[in-house]
Amino acid sequence: MSPRLIPMLALVKDTFREAFARKIFWGFAGCCTALLAFLVFIMRIDVVAGALATITIFGRAMPTTDVQGLVQQTQSVIAMSMYFFGMALSVFASAGLVAAVFEPGRIELLLSKPVSRTQILLGRYIGNLAVVAANILYLTFGSWIIFGIKTGLWGGGYLLSSLFTIFVFGVLLAVIVLIGVLWESAAVAIMATFGIMIVTPILAQRATIERLLSADWSRDLVTVFYYILPKTSDISVIIRHLILNEPVDSWMPVWSTALFGAVVLAAGILHFRRRSF
Amino acid sequence: MPEYAIETENLTKVFRTRWPRRELTAVDNISLRVPVGSTYGLLGPNGAGKTTFVKMLLSASHPTAGRAIVFGRDSREPGARAPIGYLPENHRFPTYMTGWDMLDFYGALSGMGASERRARIPGLLSQVGLDERAHHLRLGKYSKGMLQRVGLAQALMHTPRLLVLDEPSDGVDPVGRRQIRDVLHALEQKGVTIFLNSHLLAEVELFCREVAIIQKGKLALSGTVLELTSGSGYRLEISGASETLETELRGRARTAGAANGMLQLLFASREEANQALDLARANHCEIETFGRTRSTLEEVFMKTVEGE
Repeated sequence: MSPRLIPMLALVKDTFREAFARKIFWGFAGCCTALLAFLVFIMRIDVVAGALATITIFGRAMPTTDVQGLVQQTQSVIAMSMYFFGMALSVFASAGLVAAVFEPGRIELLLSKPVSRTQILLGRYIGNLAVVAANILYLTFGSWIIFGIKTGLWGGGYLLSSLFTIFVFGVLLAVIVLIGVLWESAAVAIMATFGIMIVTPILAQRATIERLLSADWSRDLVTVFYYILPKTSDISVIIRHLILNEPVDSWMPVWSTALFGAVVLAAGILHFRRRSF
Repeated sequence: MPEYAIETENLTKVFRTRWPRRELTAVDNISLRVPVGSTYGLLGPNGAGKTTFVKMLLSASHPTAGRAIVFGRDSREPGARAPIGYLPENHRFPTYMTGWDMLDFYGALSGMGASERRARIPGLLSQVGLDERAHHLRLGKYSKGMLQRVGLAQALMHTPRLLVLDEPSDGVDPVGRRQIRDVLHALEQKGVTIFLNSHLLAEVELFCREVAIIQKGKLALSGTVLELTSGSGYRLEISGASETLETELRGRARTAGAANGMLQLLFASREEANQALDLARANHCEIETFGRTRSTLEEVFMKTVEGE
């Protein structure tokens, strides 16, 4: 192994170890396992000759549509739950993991090692992202396999959707990192990230908002904020389109969100490199 | 091979607050040289700037002016910190790790391979006095003394050429202190440079050959312990002196006194002391002690700090 990789892997492994110790990893894994168990044992789907016969939840037969529609709708519900609730939980858990690195008495020792500050921050960032990604992939792959076995449908859109969820979490994690570096506060990081998660769906309705605003400058302001901030709401629509095998209108929300994440992460690294502890 | 393990050139750190606009000079233009293989103590009262100075050496804090050089390289380069082993004062080791995990983690950060780390950890933990049970115990369960020991083991993990220790025996019992001192002595024999930041003046005096005293961010005094503690005068103690001789000697001495039947005399120069010694011998007096006066490091420290 390259000597440059050894410290990076140690930092990633350390983040996992801390997530295990704080029960964050096991908390996520427990929730995912419970949902998978629900799909395996509680939801029964009987497919006869490629068409859905019945769907039974808690022993009760439900009104049915076609099998593909049912699977896609269910996958869509799981993906959206993971996207919004899972994301909120992940932000809550990750803020503490990032801020912990900057604790006095811990950061000095890390900085005394022959590792660049960029490596230290990226190691923590990647580790944190990997903790959340492992759980998202576990739930997505697990449910995809269960649906595949029960219905014989193995569409790839649902799998692809998990990558977008991880991507958006990566962008929000960049915000957590920047705020962690600036103020070493998990609480401020959570508030700012939740703020973005609340404001961006509102900004996504900018056509309606602009109709309600009379001044040009206020309409421009809404447009500027819309383009600058990550487009969590628009990406959730893209995820739904992917799962339902529908065409995606525009990829702009993805690349502009990626740009936001890259700029924020770079700002975090730059500030960390300049900071004195 | 560089001559100095640590070299600072006009190292300065000014802390500034934007609102209200204030400035605090924590380290003020310090130039210091620590020779390779030496044992060097950094002393100063609380708030003198010692910790900030050490943080700049390790590049945890960036200097406002000047620079810190470690074995000929600017300490801001990550590679320059490879030969440094550091034990911070108010350390916060990750409590979810075991002693073994901690050494493995910090060893990896120093670029050591997995097999090298596995081979080194057990011996090192034993060397600092941690038994096998402690190897796999979480750090959250460690006592303060055990944390100091594992912290020292962490600093030694990658076989450093320079050890920077901030209060290494803080919270350690006397037996543990002795063990730590023995470890440090063994490292000194191997040529490792040891830079000690400690409030325990007796410990510094016992262990370090050179010291520097920082006061209000400035370098107030530096030199070898021997130089700094050696007094400027000479002491002569005799017994069996006649009244006439005693009067004569008291007249020549800078200060004189008597205790336990002995005449105690202090002379300003070696010549005066030698003349008095010759006189005492010629008068068949018993010479009890003769030598240079000495002060303790604590006396030197107090004089320096209070003299400001």
